[in-house]
Amino acid sequence: MRKAARLVINNLVWIPVIILSAWALTPLIWALSASFKTRIEIYQARTFLPANPSLRAYGEVLSSDGFWNFTYNSTFVSIVSTFLATAIGILAAYAFARYAFRWRHILLILILVPRIIPRVSLVVPLYHMIVSFGLLDTRLALVITYTATAVPFVTWILASFFATVPKSLEDAATIDGASLWQTLFYVMIPVAWPGIAAVLIYCIREAWNEFPFVMAFTTSAESRTLPYQLFLLRETMGIQDWSVVNAFTIITIIPMVIAFLTMQRYVVKGIVSGAIK
Amino acid sequence: MSSTKPVTRSRNNLLIKQLTPYLLIGPAILIVMGILGYGVGWSFMMSLHKLNPLTFQNEFAGLATYMELFTSPQFQNALLRSATLVGGTILLGIIVSLSFALSIYKIQGFKGAVRAISLIPWMVSGIAAAVMFRFLFSGNAGLINIIMESFGLAPVGWLAHPTRAMFVLILTNTWFISPFSTLIILSGLQTIDTEIYDAAAVDGCSGVRTLGQITLPLIKPMFGFSLIWLSFASFNIFDVVLPTTGGGPGRATEVLAVMMYRLAFQGLDYPMASAIVIVLLIINAFMSLFYLKTFKV
Repeated sequence: MRKAARLVINNLVWIPVIILSAWALTPLIWALSASFKTRIEIYQARTFLPANPSLRAYGEVLSSDGFWNFTYNSTFVSIVSTFLATAIGILAAYAFARYAFRWRHILLILILVPRIIPRVSLVVPLYHMIVSFGLLDTRLALVITYTATAVPFVTWILASFFATVPKSLEDAATIDGASLWQTLFYVMIPVAWPGIAAVLIYCIREAWNEFPFVMAFTTSAESRTLPYQLFLLRETMGIQDWSVVNAFTIITIIPMVIAFLTMQRYVVKGIVSGAIK
Repeated sequence: MSSTKPVTRSRNNLLIKQLTPYLLIGPAILIVMGILGYGVGWSFMMSLHKLNPLTFQNEFAGLATYMELFTSPQFQNALLRSATLVGGTILLGIIVSLSFALSIYKIQGFKGAVRAISLIPWMVSGIAAAVMFRFLFSGNAGLINIIMESFGLAPVGWLAHPTRAMFVLILTNTWFISPFSTLIILSGLQTIDTEIYDAAAVDGCSGVRTLGQITLPLIKPMFGFSLIWLSFASFNIFDVVLPTTGGGPGRATEVLAVMMYRLAFQGLDYPMASAIVIVLLIINAFMSLFYLKTFKV
């Protein structure tokens, strides 16, 4: 009897799991379902699943004006800014983790405290800076600003990962005559790989999903990225054609969800360890 | 280089060795200070100016812009709305993330899958989250109204009503930012030594008491970090507001960041927008300090 009661109690936990999973997934499933519905079906048939699933909305998005250009821009700024921020962060993190030098503490504060500067508060000053450098409406402006906002977090996470690499590993490499670069590339980076993977996915996610900067710093379709286009699309045709808006939304989400699911292990370990120190 | 004397060479080597850390840090300092530091500095200087509406020049005015800002009802209302949004999101976000984290911690099997589900909203952009919630709550095609109608209730114009629009915004924001808080709390739970639960069970401790007197105190620091994250992310909210409500109806959901953006890019009042930026930064710093002190993390 007690055993049966215990079994019931142990399985009661599935009730909140189901409710909370529904909470997390419903907006996505509703959007996914609508992206396969026809325009009229969205307003008339009040069913959860599409009656005659159609790929029309996806076809329309993929062949819409500039779609591939926006995708290219998003991919370009995400990859380049992630690479730059990670490279810059690796160097700085290595110095902080391994060297004792004057002003170390102050320099560390100068790099880390900007983590609490919210992105949106930088929009106005950086807009002026970008205009005065003649970089308005360029991908370069996005790459530079995305890199700058990512460096503090990257440095922070990597410094804590590098600090856990046993010093003896490095000493062994140095005795074998390895230069600083060789030590970094063949010892530090491979050993701290989980941290680097976490940083990579963090940066890509930030850049791929970024909105305030791209809205302020681009003026034409030339260097626009996907989130800004999604915002404009919703503004201009949300009422007429929700299927297309939803298809566009799903298309922008899928690459990140795939990246996240494949790297989940690193994300969970690396990013949390960085956030709570 | 063969002519270099051994002494000078070793001195050069020493110099290079001493410079190495600075050279390694150089690029990071340069880009962080050059972009982020510059941004804050520029905003601070600009906030000490005042827009002259006649000449359209920004003239130095000391703290006059701040005085005008603090006494303006628009600013006070935006601050209040920001506080409402932060309060609402913290309340809902802590409930959602704590119960999600505890359930994931408790279940046997499918742990990884449920954790992945709980984190998926975190990979979605603020814009996409907002667009999906806007659709979910749309008047004639939204799931919420369809469900309400199936229960015989009248459909509701969610986003046309000030209080309801704020409610939808809080829901959207919670959906968007609570996954990370779930992750933080979950990581705290996983560090708890399970022996303590066995001991509690032996002592006949009830489930609720175990939660309140053992689990929660043990994850107090993680709780603090969750609160920092939820407050920080909701206080600086911008992406999620524009596609859902655009600050409307009227200005019912115009929070500080949205007001700042409107002043700068529609009103071209950079001094006033910059003063809001400085206020945002100061409140952020105080929030972090407050939580760090309260939760001793």
